[in-house]
Amino acid sequence: MSATSAPAIEAAGLSRRFGDVQAVDGVDLSIAKGAVFGLLGPDGAGKSTLIRMLATVLNPDAGEAVVQGFSVTRQPGKVTPLIGYMSQKFSLYPDLTVAENIDFFAKLRGVPKDVRHTRMHQLLQGMGLDEFVDRQAGRLSGGMKQKLFLASTLMHSPDVLLLDEPTTGVDPVSRREFWRILAGLHRQGTTVLVATPYMDEAERCTDVAFIDSGRIRHRGSPEQIKALVPGRLFEVRAADPRAALAALHTLAATHALRGLLAVHLYGDIVRVLIETDDAGSITSALEAAGIGADVQPSAVDMETAFAFLAELATTP
Amino acid sequence: MSSLSRIGAVVAKEFIHLVRDRRTLAVVLAMPVLQMLLFAYAISFDVKNVSTVIIDTDHTPASQAYVRSYQSSDFFTVVGTAGDLSAVDRVFDHNQARIAVVVPSGFGRTLADGGQATVAVYLDGSEPTAARVGQAFSTALNQVYGQRVTIEWADTQGLDVTGFGQLEPRVRTWYNPEKRSSDFLIPGLMVVIIMVVALQQTAVSLVREREQGTDEQLAISPMRRWEMMVGKVTPWTLLAFLDLAVITVVGIVFFHLPLRGSTLVLALGAALFVFCSLGLGLVISAVAPSLESANMLGLLLSMLPAFILSGFAFPLASIPVALQVVSCLFPARFMVTIARGVFLKGAGFGELWPELAALGGYAVIALGIAVVLYGRRRR
Repeated sequence: MSATSAPAIEAAGLSRRFGDVQAVDGVDLSIAKGAVFGLLGPDGAGKSTLIRMLATVLNPDAGEAVVQGFSVTRQPGKVTPLIGYMSQKFSLYPDLTVAENIDFFAKLRGVPKDVRHTRMHQLLQGMGLDEFVDRQAGRLSGGMKQKLFLASTLMHSPDVLLLDEPTTGVDPVSRREFWRILAGLHRQGTTVLVATPYMDEAERCTDVAFIDSGRIRHRGSPEQIKALVPGRLFEVRAADPRAALAALHTLAATHALRGLLAVHLYGDIVRVLIETDDAGSITSALEAAGIGADVQPSAVDMETAFAFLAELATTP
Repeated sequence: MSSLSRIGAVVAKEFIHLVRDRRTLAVVLAMPVLQMLLFAYAISFDVKNVSTVIIDTDHTPASQAYVRSYQSSDFFTVVGTAGDLSAVDRVFDHNQARIAVVVPSGFGRTLADGGQATVAVYLDGSEPTAARVGQAFSTALNQVYGQRVTIEWADTQGLDVTGFGQLEPRVRTWYNPEKRSSDFLIPGLMVVIIMVVALQQTAVSLVREREQGTDEQLAISPMRRWEMMVGKVTPWTLLAFLDLAVITVVGIVFFHLPLRGSTLVLALGAALFVFCSLGLGLVISAVAPSLESANMLGLLLSMLPAFILSGFAFPLASIPVALQVVSCLFPARFMVTIARGVFLKGAGFGELWPELAALGGYAVIALGIAVVLYGRRRR
């Protein structure tokens, strides 16, 4: 069964430049079949460019990618029947109804008429959209539009789903529902590559990669990513968090507090990464600096992990 | 899944867009009729009844006889008389008259003495067509009148001038004997409307796919580029022909437009012309960066050449030579010649084959460029 163990997506040195901007810079990537792979990174990191190259709608300047065993540059016609691609922008016809949109794209994709009918109702029912079949797509809410787009993408039962920020601008309830649908697809064995700027969504992925300035900085399972964060995490609550932050920076610079790796402000909480298990050393150091604070140990989540990994990368 | 059913899916989808977009549908269906009404009734290039004011400061039987020649002419409507020259400014400013004829005092005496009398004709140049025609007719009227005076004078002197080879021009207008604007304009209007429907709408509808992002979804379907293009242009081709039929029928029934020539040649010319327009529309959609620019480019390349550089509104011979050369870059001029030839002159393939060949060549080149531009997928 070597065929099943081959990755669904494999990229080597994939690069694309737009003018002066190197959008994607030599990306190597291997995504196992059946994975839910989260592509994380800030706006402009290169997520869309990478996904569009994998979807064959954009040609790479250099490098190669293979999707389900076919080259995106040399055999795009073999790749496209196997993939579903949701662009970042809602890309269905706003003046066509839900049913007309789904039927049109499925017809182009060669889905037989009887299959089209049953599968459409099955998908729409599963997404709670079945009562809106005759509504024009442009009149749906943001969350419903994204579900419709996903349904349209799923009509030809693709093996690989490429989703470019499908939940951006979608309300939290719809986001959760969208991820419930993705979990269902994952159980059916569909490989999902999903780009997202939301770190909480990364927790739901089997694998993640953090991309910044066109390069993949870290990758692994969420647990592996969190394990990359050195030291222990503490949350510092003070009356004046900014003063506490400044004091901690000073303590680090003067080596008054040993083993301090990184400090950053998260809302009203100062998060401290330090090579010690002792909360007391932080409390007493802050007290010496004239700041009363409550210090509690905390667990590293994905958001914290990427924030610290990004900070550690810039301040070695 | 064959090409044909994919094309069918696109055509069906395009018609849904069209039915949902009431404004565009209304424009495409109502435009031919509206424009015909506008051009046939409101806008007329016929010049008749040019309002004229007469200033007779001579007050002799001779001057009154001269003034009567204006009053009895169809081309001039004498709206009033005035006593002195200052009246000219006033009537021009108030748009009461376009032409002022001034008969100076001493007109009658000069004629009686056998001298050359002069009259002044003032033209309001702010309306050039009326002014140009008024000038031509008043010059002609003066010549005729002058000749009559000469003969009368010769008569009184006992001379016989009839033997001196008088030349009398007899002008006949062929094809459109009553020189009705509608006969002349409707075949041209046909060209304008086909161009707007086929060119403008093709350009806009393809750019819209790009702006909506739907072209990416189409790109990852098995549909080939040419299938998409054929599916896209089919509805507009049908609508262009529908408009053509409407104009022809309305023209014949309501405007008594003669259809003297070969309908087959007209249909062939129209088909080639539609292909030219589609080709231009596809080229625009390939180069236009946005929907707005596609709209503007479409308007610029359909309306303007069809109106100005086709012979539709202005005779091609009367526009500058440089623009005459430019007019060859647009297919409209050939189609105007074909439409007028078939409707008014009863022309057939024998007379119109050069224009048909030009359109055919143009269509091949325009569609070829479109295919090359789309083949070079910018991605």
